[in-house]
Amino acid sequence: MIQPAMTQLAQLLEGFLANRRLAHDRIRTFGTPRRLAILVEGLAFKQTSTLREALGPSKAAAFDARGRPTKAAEGFAKSQGVGVGALETRQTPKGVYLCAVKQEKGLPAATVLTEHLPNLLQQLTFSKTMRWNASGVRYPRPIRWVVALVGARALSFDFAGVRSGARSWGHRFLSGATSGAVASQGIKIPRPEMYEAVLAKSGVVVDSTQRREVLAGQLTQLARSAKGRVYQVNYEELLDQAVFSLECPNVVCGTFDRTYLAVPQEVLIASMAEHQGFFSAVDRKGELLPRFFAPTNVNVRNMELIRVGNERVLAARLADARYFFDEDCKVKLADRVRELHGVVFHKKLGSLYDKTQRMIDLVGDLAEAARVPQKMALCRRAALLCKADLVTGMVGEFPMLQGVMGEHYAAHDGESVEVCQAIGECYRPRTPDDAIPETTVGRLLSLADRLDTLAAFFHAGIVPSGSEDPFGLRRSAFGVIRIVIEAGLNLNMADVLRQAEQRLAQQGVKAGGHPFATLRAGSGPPLRQFLEDRLRYYGRVVAGYREDVMDSVLARADDAACNLRDLFLRMDALQAITSQQDFESLIVGFKRAHRIVEKEAWTARTVDVALLTHSTEWTLQQVVETAGRAVGQALGAHDYHGALKHLIELKNPIDQFFDGVLVNAPETEVRANRLSLLRQVDDLFSAFGDLSQIQVQGQ
Amino acid sequence: MPVRPNSYWGLAATTLVTVQNLILSLHQFWGKHGCLICQPYDVEKGAGTFNPATFLRALGPEPWRAAYVEPCRRPTDGRYGENPNRLQHYYQYQVVLKPCLDTIQSLYLDSLSTLGIDPRQHDIQFRQDDWESPTLGAWGLGWEVRLDGMEITQFTYFQEAGGQPLDPVTVELTYGTERIAMYLQGVDNVYDLRWSDDVSYGALFHDSEVQFSRYHFEVADITMIRTTFDACEAECRTLLEKGLVLPAYDYCMKSSHLFNVLDARGALSVAERTGYIGRVRGLARGCADAYVERRKHLGFPLLAGAGAR
Repeated sequence: MIQPAMTQLAQLLEGFLANRRLAHDRIRTFGTPRRLAILVEGLAFKQTSTLREALGPSKAAAFDARGRPTKAAEGFAKSQGVGVGALETRQTPKGVYLCAVKQEKGLPAATVLTEHLPNLLQQLTFSKTMRWNASGVRYPRPIRWVVALVGARALSFDFAGVRSGARSWGHRFLSGATSGAVASQGIKIPRPEMYEAVLAKSGVVVDSTQRREVLAGQLTQLARSAKGRVYQVNYEELLDQAVFSLECPNVVCGTFDRTYLAVPQEVLIASMAEHQGFFSAVDRKGELLPRFFAPTNVNVRNMELIRVGNERVLAARLADARYFFDEDCKVKLADRVRELHGVVFHKKLGSLYDKTQRMIDLVGDLAEAARVPQKMALCRRAALLCKADLVTGMVGEFPMLQGVMGEHYAAHDGESVEVCQAIGECYRPRTPDDAIPETTVGRLLSLADRLDTLAAFFHAGIVPSGSEDPFGLRRSAFGVIRIVIEAGLNLNMADVLRQAEQRLAQQGVKAGGHPFATLRAGSGPPLRQFLEDRLRYYGRVVAGYREDVMDSVLARADDAACNLRDLFLRMDALQAITSQQDFESLIVGFKRAHRIVEKEAWTARTVDVALLTHSTEWTLQQVVETAGRAVGQALGAHDYHGALKHLIELKNPIDQFFDGVLVNAPETEVRANRLSLLRQVDDLFSAFGDLSQIQVQGQ
Repeated sequence: MPVRPNSYWGLAATTLVTVQNLILSLHQFWGKHGCLICQPYDVEKGAGTFNPATFLRALGPEPWRAAYVEPCRRPTDGRYGENPNRLQHYYQYQVVLKPCLDTIQSLYLDSLSTLGIDPRQHDIQFRQDDWESPTLGAWGLGWEVRLDGMEITQFTYFQEAGGQPLDPVTVELTYGTERIAMYLQGVDNVYDLRWSDDVSYGALFHDSEVQFSRYHFEVADITMIRTTFDACEAECRTLLEKGLVLPAYDYCMKSSHLFNVLDARGALSVAERTGYIGRVRGLARGCADAYVERRKHLGFPLLAGAGAR
């Protein structure tokens, strides 16, 4: 919240200063949990003066027949505060008009700012705001003072029931209060450029970058002296949180009882981070150390009291985490499945129990489609158990441990290793950077979870539109794409999706309309199109494919080719060949052939060798026949690079054919024969994809 | 047997901050700063906010300043007396000020000083915290105050209660008395706290924690409690119709507590839980509306000095 406010403040003020002709140099912003500040360096004392022009009546209306100014001209001059004689004329698209030119003098910066700063402050927006006094101003927390200075001059205006001035307040406890907690009378900021230094002296580091550096430096050092390193997974998030919760950044290192290390380390880390904002430490092998790093807001001579205090708090937290773990272990996951009846997945889509039942069958279909029937039983067992950890106390306390806890509890229950791992991998990839599941069962389970979610929402007609995607369906689909491609899973999804939808109907989930179907010109079931769209996104963003390359491949996608990995491999091969020398001219030749067979009408026939009169016809026919076999074989073996290599061989024969013969020969038989030959060429290319989509990009 | 104050904890050698002394100190402090010292309300509740002295008094235009101790029941937090820090029954110290004071944060820190916590020896942090009570239809923004990492106070500027926007705004301070006392006495286990010089917290409450944990988690008669919830809800609605908002609010509090018991007993599915919360919130809204009506009818007696009588 503080960081975005700093950015906003800089943008607002920069725009304002430009608008008001107040020159300046660098702008810096500062932010802590108690203050938001902006420093404009080299601010001009006055606005630059300017000539302002105002258009008046047309020249025709401004002067009478004798050239004397009319009432309109006089009135305009008066309203602008200039003499009629001083009015000038301007040529406009509508004709010649009168114009008053005025010198606008620059006002002092202090005057302009005093008048407008309150309004500017009011323009800051925040996600959550509150009222606290009769001013009715809304802000994230109460405003207690406002400092506004231009040079040594304090500006005086009212905002949120506070009068601005030169007085600020330092660190709540470090700024030299003599007794009690209340820090005296505040501190005077003599000039804006001294703000940072004056506050530093009062214990506040106003620059957030500097606070981050201090914290990061201390953490590295403390970890090193503990013979370990700072746990990285939640590091950035915790650091951000600490930077904007502290004014005087400092870190103390504490320890906890080794016996807690018996609790899964994810739980300990979550407990430290979520409840306390503590960083964790791991040793060189990545094992958790019984230590923590607590960010503190003071740097006092004796930090012992603070360290011990933090240790005691953490001990109680860990005791509670252990309690949850022990309690959860008392009930088997398998016995928790029925509790999922009580957890709503979505009000139109039944409970998580319903989802679990669908997933069991869906993952079975996937195991079949991926040709790993020997994993079927494991897949179904993992699907049965994978949602059961959602009703455990631990996941209730730390929702981000879903899956992770399931794996631990399944292991505790004595489930097989593969089932446990799969449960732990069910939610992977959690983010675009997260790795996909490592095990086959985990991959199929994660696919089943996502495909069920997608099928369910699409079945009910709840689909993303524009930037609205409240159920993260794009993310789910992107996960599907990543798993299929990165794991190299060869499976056709058309049947799987169809059966998934049938199961939803059988469970009594009502089908909704499909707004998505109208979004795109493509054909086929909306969900398949949606997945293809995400595949296109993957191709664009991750693989860097050309759009026309993806168009060529996806134009041919249909139920029979609903194998996302296969489509991806085709794109990959096509993209690779685009950089080959002959590719462009091959496409030019192919497109010519394609256009002709699309346009011309003739009675199709098999090519009659006897009717081939010209040597280029002969050659082309020969090459088409041999290349045709080779392409067919390569495609059959999913060797798309190979198939394209054979197509390239057609380049010269096609070009020579067009150079050597006239397709529309006067003899009907010869013409039909040549068109049929071109049809063969066209078919050969089309076996790979719709290459007419390729844009020829020129030399 | 009196416990020797541990000077390591920064206590003056002569002061023994027993729980009862802590409460008395806070009474004195807030009494001196213009608060009425109120008494706990005699219906089970999950937080001091439920006491009519906060929830109802925060509504409408009448000024209000009060401080009181509130026994709170959180059935799900029961740990059979085995957790050093979690209790299903504990005491909040509650301060409410309407309208709120500009200096309230400093004043709060002064109150800690009077308890013997020297802010310059400790790490006191105001951590941004958004507070919400779904059952009361109330929310506010503020901080959770941490003393060397331990949450000791919830500090909230109420924005809405019973679904009504609040104007003027009430600020609420909720001290965790046990936690502060543990800190001051230097004990790691709540049951080792000294309530008075010679009686420990454990002697007073340990068995109650054991018994109520067992009751809430294992024994509570689910059917009876569900039925009672329904009866309390119905009674609240009837009383609201008859314009008896204060008795009606008692039944709202009772339903809220019964819901908490059902929750602890594991009797509610997630979906059902949401349903129950909505029902209690409905009652709280009804009471809030009726209360403001009633006060209006009475001419807002505490407005502009009218409260002297």
